[in-house]
Amino acid sequence: MIYLTAEFRDRAAAAEAIRLLRENGIAPADLDVFSEEPVEFPRGVLDRSSRISLASVLGGILFGVLATAFIFWTQHDYPLITGGMPLSSFWATGVITFEMTMLGASLAAFVWFLRESGLIGRRDRSAPVPHVDPGSLCLRVRCTAEKAGWASESLRRTGAIAFGAQGE
Amino acid sequence: MATVPELLPYKRIREDLFRPLSGISRRYAAAALVAFVIGATGLLAWGYQLRRGMGVTGLNRPVYWGIYIVDFVFWIGISHAGTLISAILRLTDAAWRKPVTRAAEAITLFALMIGGMFPIIHLGRAWRFYWLLPYPNWRLLWPNFRSPLLWDLTAIVTYLTGSAIYLYLPLIPDVAQLAKHNTPWRRKFYRALSLGWTGSDREWHALERTVKLLACLILAVAISVHTVVAWDFAMAIAPMWHSTIFGPYFVAGAIFSGIAALLLVMAALRKLLHLEFYFTPHHFNNLAKLLLLMSLLWLYFTVAENLTVWYGNEPNEMAVFGTRTHARFAPLFWAMVVLNFVIPFVLLGIRRLRTIRNATIAATSVVVGMWIERFIIVVPTLSTPRLASASGFYSATWVEIAITAATFAAMAMLYMIFAKLFPIIAVWEFKPHPEEEE
Repeated sequence: MIYLTAEFRDRAAAAEAIRLLRENGIAPADLDVFSEEPVEFPRGVLDRSSRISLASVLGGILFGVLATAFIFWTQHDYPLITGGMPLSSFWATGVITFEMTMLGASLAAFVWFLRESGLIGRRDRSAPVPHVDPGSLCLRVRCTAEKAGWASESLRRTGAIAFGAQGE
Repeated sequence: MATVPELLPYKRIREDLFRPLSGISRRYAAAALVAFVIGATGLLAWGYQLRRGMGVTGLNRPVYWGIYIVDFVFWIGISHAGTLISAILRLTDAAWRKPVTRAAEAITLFALMIGGMFPIIHLGRAWRFYWLLPYPNWRLLWPNFRSPLLWDLTAIVTYLTGSAIYLYLPLIPDVAQLAKHNTPWRRKFYRALSLGWTGSDREWHALERTVKLLACLILAVAISVHTVVAWDFAMAIAPMWHSTIFGPYFVAGAIFSGIAALLLVMAALRKLLHLEFYFTPHHFNNLAKLLLLMSLLWLYFTVAENLTVWYGNEPNEMAVFGTRTHARFAPLFWAMVVLNFVIPFVLLGIRRLRTIRNATIAATSVVVGMWIERFIIVVPTLSTPRLASASGFYSATWVEIAITAATFAAMAMLYMIFAKLFPIIAVWEFKPHPEEEE
């Protein structure tokens, strides 16, 4: 695999390059845009799906259910009536269930962030990480040797100002 | 000259915000020394209390909750400065929030750490703290999950964890920048914290999505935390505690004191770190208006709370009401009203007077006033129990005062350390202006 990098000063030019590359068969998974600040492209250019919200909901449900089950079990394990309350009741333990649900949701969101961003696990460590100046952005393309020629040409045509290539 | 941070060149923004991280000025060293001495005195006082027992405090029959609990409620309230305000501003996409959010989020984390210490200090036998945790034991004794004290524990742990993540995530891009140009040990430190951040669109996308999601979660948690703290009182059938509005009353008070603390911190940072271009009169004006709004809300709750008691004329409640408003605690009660309402209303309500200096004075007044408010809630009820013959007097000893003072010093110290390690304003949130770059 070959990694091509191209620097752009203009966001619209980068978007155009991405569009061209995608039209010619480069998958979004093979494209990465590097910048010093978040870059937003128009919808459809380089959309990234996310499961962080889903992970958060599942984490919340998991923690909430486990906490409630744990409370139920411990209170019945050593049954001690206090304040005339039943051993298990939503009113008395609802707060803990809520807090544990929120804790689970927060932790799951964090863990999924690490995974989805590639900070742990999924990143290709051999891929080059381009240096980006403030205000500019860099597009990295992963492609086969056959496609590298026209991909470079596409990048050049759309206004890239600096190029790099790595891999075989 | 540009006075709005967004109009400054990005290079200048980076320089301005990364500059305070290097070097230690004389003023910084002197402030750190003062904070250290006060903090060390507090630690010694706590050591003395651990050695001699709770008899060295002013706690006695029937007042078993003194200024440690006041401090606990106060600091948990202050913690609402950050995450809650930051989350609201982030979700509403308020453009002026950028310089404010990190300063606010750091307050939350440190105030929670300090507030969370007080139940342990108040325990007396601090080394028994782990009894609150559900650990396996051969006698099958588990914590009583129906107790509001366990609610507190879970609420604070959740809020602390959520706030730490919420502070950490937006720090990652900045520490990744810091990892590039720094002294060797700092480079290692920042590199470890940045987790190998490269600035790819996947990372940015995940970061923005997670921060927004956490902002939603943290809003719910922040409200629940102070409601739970209020329920520590409201679940007891004690005069003037057993109130349905205690939850929202505490939440409003917490946001109120939180905004005041944020204003104070911003004023200090502006002066000490020369961030005049970032913490502008516009930011102070907006926060001052928010503080004024919360002052009015606080007054509304205070009137609602006291009026229903007065009109109900229930003897036990009236005994506490009387001791608060025209007997032993009256000077504190009326001082609280002046500090929390009169001063902010005059200084912030009149547009001409709403300057940075006056906003800082009003914020100081509110922070003091809210501490007194917590005292007024905790102590008079306990010193005026239902059985009149059991009434008692509480006065804090030097040990309690030293420990309380130490927590303020600890807050200052933690903040100063944080400001030396991390940019106090999120640099990456300012978009670069290519035409202004060299």
